[in-house]
Amino acid sequence: MSRALTLSVLLEQELVTFTRAVGALRRRNFPIKSIAVGPSASPGLARLTIMMEADQATADRAARQLEKIIGVREVTAFPASAGVARELALVKVRAGHERYAELLDIALLYKATILDESSEGTIVEVAGTEAFVLSFLRALEGFEVLEVARSGAVAIERANGASIPLTFTSEAVQ
Amino acid sequence: MTELLTGAQLMCRVLLEEGVEVMFGYPGGAIMPFYHALPEFPGLRHVLVRHEQAAAHAADGYARASGRAGVCVATSGPGATNLVTGLATAMMDSAPVVAITGQVPRNMIGRDAFQETDILGITQPITKHNVLVQDVEELASTLHEAFAIALEGRPGPVLVDVPKDVQNQKVACEAKGLQEPVGAKGNGFARVRSGRSGPAPDDLREAAELIATAQRPLIMAGHGVVLAGAYDELRCLAERTGIPVITTLLGISGFPESHPLHLGMPGMHGEVHVNRAIQQADLIVGVGLRFDDRVTGNTAAFAPRAKIIHIELDPSEVGKNVPVTVALVGDCRVILGELLRTLRPRDCTAWRLEIVGLMKSRPEQYRGDLSPEGILRTLDDETEGRCTIVSDVGQHQMWVAKLYPYERPNTHITSGGLGTMGFAVPGAIGVRLARPDEPVWAISGDGGFQMNMQEIATMVQEQIPVKMAIFNNGYLGMVRQWQQFFHGRRYSATPIWSPDYVKLAEAYGVAGWRVDNAGQTREAIRAAMAVPGPALVEFMIEQEANVFPMIPPGASLSEPIEGEPAPLVPA
Repeated sequence: MSRALTLSVLLEQELVTFTRAVGALRRRNFPIKSIAVGPSASPGLARLTIMMEADQATADRAARQLEKIIGVREVTAFPASAGVARELALVKVRAGHERYAELLDIALLYKATILDESSEGTIVEVAGTEAFVLSFLRALEGFEVLEVARSGAVAIERANGASIPLTFTSEAVQ
Repeated sequence: MTELLTGAQLMCRVLLEEGVEVMFGYPGGAIMPFYHALPEFPGLRHVLVRHEQAAAHAADGYARASGRAGVCVATSGPGATNLVTGLATAMMDSAPVVAITGQVPRNMIGRDAFQETDILGITQPITKHNVLVQDVEELASTLHEAFAIALEGRPGPVLVDVPKDVQNQKVACEAKGLQEPVGAKGNGFARVRSGRSGPAPDDLREAAELIATAQRPLIMAGHGVVLAGAYDELRCLAERTGIPVITTLLGISGFPESHPLHLGMPGMHGEVHVNRAIQQADLIVGVGLRFDDRVTGNTAAFAPRAKIIHIELDPSEVGKNVPVTVALVGDCRVILGELLRTLRPRDCTAWRLEIVGLMKSRPEQYRGDLSPEGILRTLDDETEGRCTIVSDVGQHQMWVAKLYPYERPNTHITSGGLGTMGFAVPGAIGVRLARPDEPVWAISGDGGFQMNMQEIATMVQEQIPVKMAIFNNGYLGMVRQWQQFFHGRRYSATPIWSPDYVKLAEAYGVAGWRVDNAGQTREAIRAAMAVPGPALVEFMIEQEANVFPMIPPGASLSEPIEGEPAPLVPA
């Protein structure tokens, strides 16, 4: 059964290791939804978070392939429901004087932060589950959205590894 | 005491430290410092090939025959890209190859310099690992590590890209005065290759239980048996349990073919009784194989009644192609040894006889007087079974796999996974250098031979006495066979003209014979064996001979084509 799965990969913080990992997934045609990469808690190591829509066996196969790469230190594959995932989006939007208050209302509703203001547009930051971010973007559809930058999800497995049925924060909103 | 070495000298020293005796390569601009240093290290033999692809295949052949790393060297750009097919071949068949390429100087990288190519990017998917050396200080450790990675676990090719200025950089090293390779001539197969973790005792117990209780068990042995040198363990397992043994294309010569428990090859061109046995089996013990699609046919219909025990070094192979009941991950020699400690003798005679009952006497499938079967039988006679055969890819490859009786370990070498036409001739050069004391035959079709026949010059210049056989049917025979079976006999682009191979041999200063009828076979093989140097024998075989049986691509193992399809009736 296909479902949302997370691959969390700890790997050497080198471009070449990153391309090896991504290349291994690409050439075996794994169903990747998003990839996010950034520094990890250990110096010299990066954390690569890969979200895929697949069955557990496929995710495990992907994990085994990644583990073979020199420079990949650790791979864990867990169902999205067994972890917490968040992504960040920056939205450059033009509201105009007449609708600016409306934009602020939406931002408030989504706990979004205004990062930059100019007469040409406003940059808003929102963070949450993918569904939450998508919901925010839909709420902005009535405005003139100039640009969207999304980070892709980062995720971390629950400390007790328990798989908790997803509630309102993801599927329900969609 | 320290001495000041150039990066290039250091590379040569590392090669000696790794026990390298021979390498295959081709010089060029970006690798010139290395070639400049090479004559200072007479313990390193360099074989100049005629095309870098051949260097990679020869290194691969050397590695497969010796179990040690094969080394190939090329310059940047086209030299490096020419290695690609050879590296992909080695990757698919798990051969430990270390490829060293020159690269443009560091300050030129990324500027599309002359003969610059991103060989790291190009070879990333077809190497086990690859590295661009950024500084001479990391050169020695990188090269040593390349050998370690190529050989450890499941072997594979590693490419080390060395910028020209790094080869020229000076570095202070401990003086060693090394002249000869260190620890050379060892048998690379004896090493235990470690997996990430040994099998769990519970899994071993479950596997032993399945083996003890199965009614219709089969052993399928693949390349892993050869790579691990697990011949004795495999044989013990078979003999103690009476379980019949199937050998995949690369598992051939992993188990003696005259053994009463040996069944033959499975898959697309496997014998009908072998494939039927798989379809009826209730247990398959897969040893060091990856259940390739040419072995399984349609995986959904593969061995529908069987549980599968998969003994495999590479965890990523487990469950990749077929679902597995018990996975035993690790070196198959070790795992078979552990299984043998717990397995009690049992008997599978009834099941074996059932399979033997499915056997058919080989039909008269090879039309014409000069049959592949006859040629290979004569070759076996004349070599007294004491030769290594390196085959190319196509119809002859299947005949060579099925019709020559392999009795000795690792005497059948071929490009299995990638199916690289042109492998045999350069591959055999490497095999022969690894086995200087026995005859090495490179058997090709007329198509594959023409892909790398320039390497006859290498054999002559380096005095490498490879014996070449060409099965000439005037077609790219395997493709023609598919066209005949599945494409309405439209022989599109498969008729292939050949030069006069005897004259070609003569032009290279090599002895050559053409065999037109069966009566000439023995004499020609004898003559080729008698000359001290390389020799070539061309066999004019039946043009439209086919390889039977054949499982159509995508079909299940239960659906073989066993004979000539009905002639086309004009509509």
